[in-house]
Amino acid sequence: MAKTKSKIKDGSRIFDAFCIFFCALICLVTLYPMYYVLIMSLSEPAAVNSMSVFLYPKGFQLKSYTLLFKDSSMWRAYGNTIIYAASSTLLTLITSVLAAYPLTVHGLHARRFFVTYLLIPMYFSGGLIPSFLLINNLGLYGTRWAIILPASYSIWNIMLVRTFFSNLPEDLRESAKMDGAAHIRILFQIYLPLAKSILAVVAIYSIVGMWNSWFNAQVYLPTTELQPLQMYLKRVLVQMSVDLTKLNSTEIEDAMEQMFSATQLKYSMIIFTTLPIIFTYPFFQKYFIKGVMVGSLKG
Amino acid sequence: MEFGNRTIAARNGTKTGRRRKRGGIGAKEQLQLMLIMLPPLILIFIFSYIPLYGVLIAFQDFVPGNPILSFDGSTQWVGLKHFTDFITSRTFTRLFRNTLVLSGLNLVFGFTAPIIFSLILNEVKISSYKKLVQTASYLPYFISTVIAAGMVLSFIDTNGLINRIREIFGLPSKAFSMDPNCFPAIYTITNVWKTFGWDSILYMSAMSSIDMNLYEAAKLDGANRVQQMWNITLPSIKPTIMLLLIFAIGSVLSTNTDLVLLLYNPAVYETADVMATYVYRDSLLGGRFSFGTAVGLFTSVLNFTLVFIANFISRKVADYSLW
Repeated sequence: MAKTKSKIKDGSRIFDAFCIFFCALICLVTLYPMYYVLIMSLSEPAAVNSMSVFLYPKGFQLKSYTLLFKDSSMWRAYGNTIIYAASSTLLTLITSVLAAYPLTVHGLHARRFFVTYLLIPMYFSGGLIPSFLLINNLGLYGTRWAIILPASYSIWNIMLVRTFFSNLPEDLRESAKMDGAAHIRILFQIYLPLAKSILAVVAIYSIVGMWNSWFNAQVYLPTTELQPLQMYLKRVLVQMSVDLTKLNSTEIEDAMEQMFSATQLKYSMIIFTTLPIIFTYPFFQKYFIKGVMVGSLKG
Repeated sequence: MEFGNRTIAARNGTKTGRRRKRGGIGAKEQLQLMLIMLPPLILIFIFSYIPLYGVLIAFQDFVPGNPILSFDGSTQWVGLKHFTDFITSRTFTRLFRNTLVLSGLNLVFGFTAPIIFSLILNEVKISSYKKLVQTASYLPYFISTVIAAGMVLSFIDTNGLINRIREIFGLPSKAFSMDPNCFPAIYTITNVWKTFGWDSILYMSAMSSIDMNLYEAAKLDGANRVQQMWNITLPSIKPTIMLLLIFAIGSVLSTNTDLVLLLYNPAVYETADVMATYVYRDSLLGGRFSFGTAVGLFTSVLNFTLVFIANFISRKVADYSLW
């Protein structure tokens, strides 16, 4: 008996070691690519060009970053992304709240109809071409509205907020009604202050979604002036139609700036445009996870 | 009935409230609520329902600029012509095969990776380490698709990281991005890398709610850790697995179009071109609107059928279903 017990313990220890090792491997796989890009961007151009950077930066410079600061196309794209993210997030918050609240009022006539009305687009969509024709017919093609308006609501978010509202005690509403408050007032003065956490979830989903999206811009925005950051990054990193090494063509005073390879500048660009999200995500993490949880309850 | 209600109302204020709830609300309140809902419902109507109606052009020879439906006879209905054209076309086999292969690989690896990962992570008993690993695991989810694709493309470049490592092991350098045989692997690895950590969140939370007494009992019966994992943890997360499996099967025909569009190039169309990318290239850029809509509709109908079948099987086999 004693022997089997110790055997299990030994086995357990090996198993523990295996789990810890496996997880370390996972960390390596997820973190190393980003780390590699970081150390490549910080190393001396010569080391980068000879591809001898693997574990730590060889030499140290930030010139590649200061060079990117001169890239006006990047800043314009950055600005566009902020415009798109801010406006679509604001609209999504408003539409989610407005659509969710009435559905939680008991006794709303035709509630089943409204719920079905919301659910159908969740499962069926017209697809790329009918949407494209619509944007065209509305005269939105080539304007900022083509990006903002289709992203001004999210049925998923409406459902999230609805689930949250319907868990609030019904008495809140009833007593406000007794005092003669109209629904719009109940919504904005009683429900909204209680819903901060779910609104944070919706806002973060919507910001990150917009920050990362590029396909709609590719389809609806032919001019680079209006395109968001991801479209610019796509031209730099994927199509390679923008050559970052040509940025400093006007001033050739600094010899070192000439030495940066396209790869190093690309890597600096990756770090520069990913940092905002990477730095903020540990703070937002709990809201994100909360969103996944609330969403999964709905099924 | 009216009278009865009123007497109860007179007797007990709270009961009226409940009565009212069940019986509906006044017309004024109804109007208020409708007005509140109106703006989002209009937006949804415009941007979700009008495109649904636009699907009609799949059954026409649509000329851009004409209305989708007109009763003066200018609408040319062609029935299922575009569907049969697509199914009998030479590209169909290639597109259908690629779509199935890429999503199949994603289903096999993308679906199982988070399960295996969370099962093993759940066995790590050092909570700070566990937290660190989990945080690291969903970092890639926050890296945009464009950047992820850009990183991958630069790593597999002829003088990128991967080829540099191959050199060290004495292997010849290889142009991965130009080799059609490599595309499915590149796509699958990138996709799994980006999503496995995030997808494991639901499993981890399902695991955290398992009754610890089950493990104690199993330990007393002499079950080792692997047996506990297999016989307690895995069955406990079965509903979550089934739920996500149904969703995964439902999207078998809709590959991650964003990622394919970013990673592919004409040299690898043979294995990389899927239905959605074909619609984008051939129909949107090529102006074959009716045909492209038909291909899109074909995909979504098949997808929906698949969810339906998956749900049916799940209900029969695992006693779990979406509806």
